[in-house]
Amino acid sequence: MKSSYLRAGAALACALALSACGGGDGDLAIGGAFVGVTKPGLVLQNNGGGDLAVQPTSTGTGTFFFQDLVETDSDYNVTVKSIPSNASGCEPSQNRGKVAFTVTSVRIICTIRQHELKGSVSGLAGNLVLVNGADRVTVPAGATTFAMAKVNEDAPYGVTVLTQPENQTCTVSNGSGVMAQADVTNVAVTCGPRT
Amino acid sequence: MKFSLIRPAALLAMALGLASCGGGGDDDSFTVGGTIKGLEYPNLVLTNNGGDNINVAPPAKAGDVVTYTFPKKLEYGDTYKVAVLTQPAHQTCGVDPDYPLSDADTAGRLGAINARFACSINAYAIGGKVNGLTKDNTGLVLANGSTTGSVEIAPTSTDATAVSFDYAMPLKVQYNQTYSVTIVTQPTGRFCTVENPAGTMGDAPVTNININCVPR
Repeated sequence: MKSSYLRAGAALACALALSACGGGDGDLAIGGAFVGVTKPGLVLQNNGGGDLAVQPTSTGTGTFFFQDLVETDSDYNVTVKSIPSNASGCEPSQNRGKVAFTVTSVRIICTIRQHELKGSVSGLAGNLVLVNGADRVTVPAGATTFAMAKVNEDAPYGVTVLTQPENQTCTVSNGSGVMAQADVTNVAVTCGPRT
Repeated sequence: MKFSLIRPAALLAMALGLASCGGGGDDDSFTVGGTIKGLEYPNLVLTNNGGDNINVAPPAKAGDVVTYTFPKKLEYGDTYKVAVLTQPAHQTCGVDPDYPLSDADTAGRLGAINARFACSINAYAIGGKVNGLTKDNTGLVLANGSTTGSVEIAPTSTDATAVSFDYAMPLKVQYNQTYSVTIVTQPTGRFCTVENPAGTMGDAPVTNININCVPR
């Protein structure tokens, strides 16, 4: 009987001591992974608290953790405060719950805006194959326009001839650059007799 | 607890032993088999215990999981160890890293044997030589189309005589994928062109995408 009072008293004292020191800090981290972050601007919050500015990566994927540690059994709710400059939106998932152990399961999926990459063709008498990295497009004889797959905003592009048409040589102008905030429509392919 | 498990197991073993004695036939009741994910090209040869070999064909529909079985069955208690004897064309297969222990065990310990393998398509570096850049000609940025981001190519900080040097793009290219190396930003004081910029990846690294730079 006596000892149970003692124990409760000790626990209370401990709790008071802890809250006096750290404002209820625990030792568990809240974090997870993100995709589609190639530009700065993504800011996350947990329970509406301090901002976490997520640094972009070249591949757009990575992990994040909030600086503030939390206690077991506390609630977490990770929300997106602002999005990267080139994203159309960022959706959090598995972002709410009660902390049982360090949380690494929060996912932030940002969608990067995409723009068209296309242009004109002149003088093409055979089949021409254009590539932009792994994207490959066959342009048929007689075509006057072509379009590559859409490209992420702020990503580089480089349209190049993979296969020349029979007996012709085609050259690409305005074929490379970095995708801005509008479609690229001025890539020009000019074909003439092979020299 | 321990003994209560051993006793029925012993009984079962005896029963099996009797059956194998008296039946007059084999008791080879365990089929060694499993699944392979990511297989796309032919000529994969798997071997069990180093002696029993099978050739596994890719699935009819790309992306499907392939199921394989070895013709030779095992008896209860026999060990099995499935391994890749010959890699398929253009790919590398190994034990599925999600099931790293599935390739070897003792027949009968699990209800069915499922040795899981996974294959990935080989990827090789693309690059070449950079010619004509000195330490002052910084800022050259290359990209492989929109596929792998961009990379700045910097000459060594001490080079005053434009010594040629090798470069490689940061990400490899998978077999049968196309690539197109282009200049995103020209360096200061030089104008560069790309030699052999585009191609389709074969079974070896590409080293002929040379960057040739001349004074402006």
